[in-house]
Amino acid sequence: MDALLSSIDQLFTLSTLLTMLIGVIAGVVAAAIPGFTITMAIVLTQPLTFQMPPLQGIATMLAVYVGGSTGGLISAALLGIPGTPSSVATTFDAYPMARNGEPGRALAIGVWASFFGAVISAIVLILAAPPLALVAVKLGAWEYFSLIVFAMTVVASLVGRSVLRGLMSGLLGLLLASIGPDPMMGIPRFTFDTDLLAAGFPFLVVLIGIFAVSQLLGEVEDADQVRHGKALIASQVSFRPLDALRETLMRPLGLLRSSLVGVFIGAVPGAGGSIANLIAYDQARRASKTPEKFGTGTAEGVVASESGNSSTAGGGLIPLIALGIPGSAVDAVLMASLMIHGISIGPRLIMDHADLVYGMFLAMFVAAFLMLAVCMTSMRLFLKVTRVPRYVIVPVVLTCCVIGAYALNNRLTDVYLLLGVGLLGYILNKLHYPLAPLVLGVILGPIAETNLRRALMTNEDWSLFFTRPISLALLTLAVISVVMTLRHRWRTRSA
Amino acid sequence: MSADPTSTARSDSDRARGSALAHVIFNALLAIGFALLFWRAGDLPASMWEPLGSGSFPRLVLGALICFNLAIIVEQLRRLPHTSALAPGSIRRWLWQHRLALAVLALLTLYLLALPWLGFALASLSFLLATQILLGARSPRRLGVAGVIALVFSFGLAWVFADVFGIMLPAGVLG
Repeated sequence: MDALLSSIDQLFTLSTLLTMLIGVIAGVVAAAIPGFTITMAIVLTQPLTFQMPPLQGIATMLAVYVGGSTGGLISAALLGIPGTPSSVATTFDAYPMARNGEPGRALAIGVWASFFGAVISAIVLILAAPPLALVAVKLGAWEYFSLIVFAMTVVASLVGRSVLRGLMSGLLGLLLASIGPDPMMGIPRFTFDTDLLAAGFPFLVVLIGIFAVSQLLGEVEDADQVRHGKALIASQVSFRPLDALRETLMRPLGLLRSSLVGVFIGAVPGAGGSIANLIAYDQARRASKTPEKFGTGTAEGVVASESGNSSTAGGGLIPLIALGIPGSAVDAVLMASLMIHGISIGPRLIMDHADLVYGMFLAMFVAAFLMLAVCMTSMRLFLKVTRVPRYVIVPVVLTCCVIGAYALNNRLTDVYLLLGVGLLGYILNKLHYPLAPLVLGVILGPIAETNLRRALMTNEDWSLFFTRPISLALLTLAVISVVMTLRHRWRTRSA
Repeated sequence: MSADPTSTARSDSDRARGSALAHVIFNALLAIGFALLFWRAGDLPASMWEPLGSGSFPRLVLGALICFNLAIIVEQLRRLPHTSALAPGSIRRWLWQHRLALAVLALLTLYLLALPWLGFALASLSFLLATQILLGARSPRRLGVAGVIALVFSFGLAWVFADVFGIMLPAGVLG
């Protein structure tokens, strides 16, 4: 109780709340600009927190994280370009909804879903951090590999007209991920002794190139509309947050299910928001009474994706706090910050620094409320993007993408890879290949390969993938996912 | 004014045949490339510590990719007999329809090639101005706005990154 009171005392000071507010704004803005990411925002924030007391520093970075988890929604809904990998599924419904003349509704529903996702994840974090962390770390290499297989089949079946093209797109992503140094031995693969391919394809460069470049080139195909200064959305734009709140709360079960999916996937080290939003979306579609409406601009899809990705922020803290294992790149930066403040991470963290841990739990709640306030007051401003003529928005966003690709590693070669990937994305788009599986393939490729090889290094017996219960369950889900999708499409075609 | 039914049917048929041919060519090229990579992956060293070497996972992926390429080629070839031959000038018409997208792509390529020479600020200024003019900033008012936007997102962003974030964007030979 003393620790809780002490954390409240430290957190609810004017300076901490102010830095958290700035953190939320920075996170929302960074994630909203295609090419800029939450990780980049957190890394840039970190040095500014060195002089702060530990809880203030961590709370500020958590605020950037929570703000960033929502900011990706803005470019996903308005431009069809996911601001972060965790908002890929948001493009499936929020973008069509915006294109149907309801960008304000798409943003408002997304913000409410993100808010509830973050709050639910904070509650789960408080109640179930230690037991969930123990389950998450019990997953061995076999289960990780099977989880990736399941995630890939979910993604491939989610998007596009053809499962075959979806699977091919995912495999193409896995192939791109295998270019560059081998994740286990560091041996260069398919680099052809060039500097361009020596470091491989960073997944953020692929994300920016595949979505942003192809989407923006698509925006300028209609010469008449572009030259007459036509904006992205021609109709009148309205923003009604209370209507959106009602729409979001009309689906309490879906909201809870997507949030819990996000918390659990977030708690699995290495998986994170990039998978969570897609699995949450898939679960929502399967549970829906109107699955055929998914992908056309339904509120259910936006709620599932946004609550799923926002709840990974709390989920990622579970293994970090309970076991000292960072679940994602962002959690690793948070962990480094704690260490810089002289706090050792591990199972004893909750015993030795209970006030700090309670403070982090409370900071998640506070950040969620600050995010809601910031987004609700600034969304009208963001909606003005839809009024900007295409001849302005296309070159400006392309320039931001180039900066984002370069600033990631300060490498010019990444900028050239951006161009190559962008061209590939445009061709795939024209041929109606879904792009989301490709990006997921690039993100998950190294995790899949490392765990497959690690599993076989531990025990050469392949049958373990089918005899370990969790691994078998995940592989069964993967098969069910493909079979059900094929059956659904076959029925739709014959109807 | 309604569209001529004959020309609409013709254009749908062109689209179906064009799409099928594009899939066949694209997948055939990919399959050849993947087969070459599959063969090259065999040269990657094996490890004495693990049953799978450096080349095993890529070969697994490449093998699956080649199968998918062939499946898509077969699927599209089965569709081809149900479409009529492409009308003369179809490719030229497609290129003309996509002229702005292709021109933006060409400008983006020039911009990225110029980055190491001109530096970020100058190259971006030129790209932003040229692309906005190409896409429709032709009147004096639009040109003025385009100029301000180009300045803010080139020299302005270079200044923000250097002085606020401490990230130096490419300075170029002239920088």
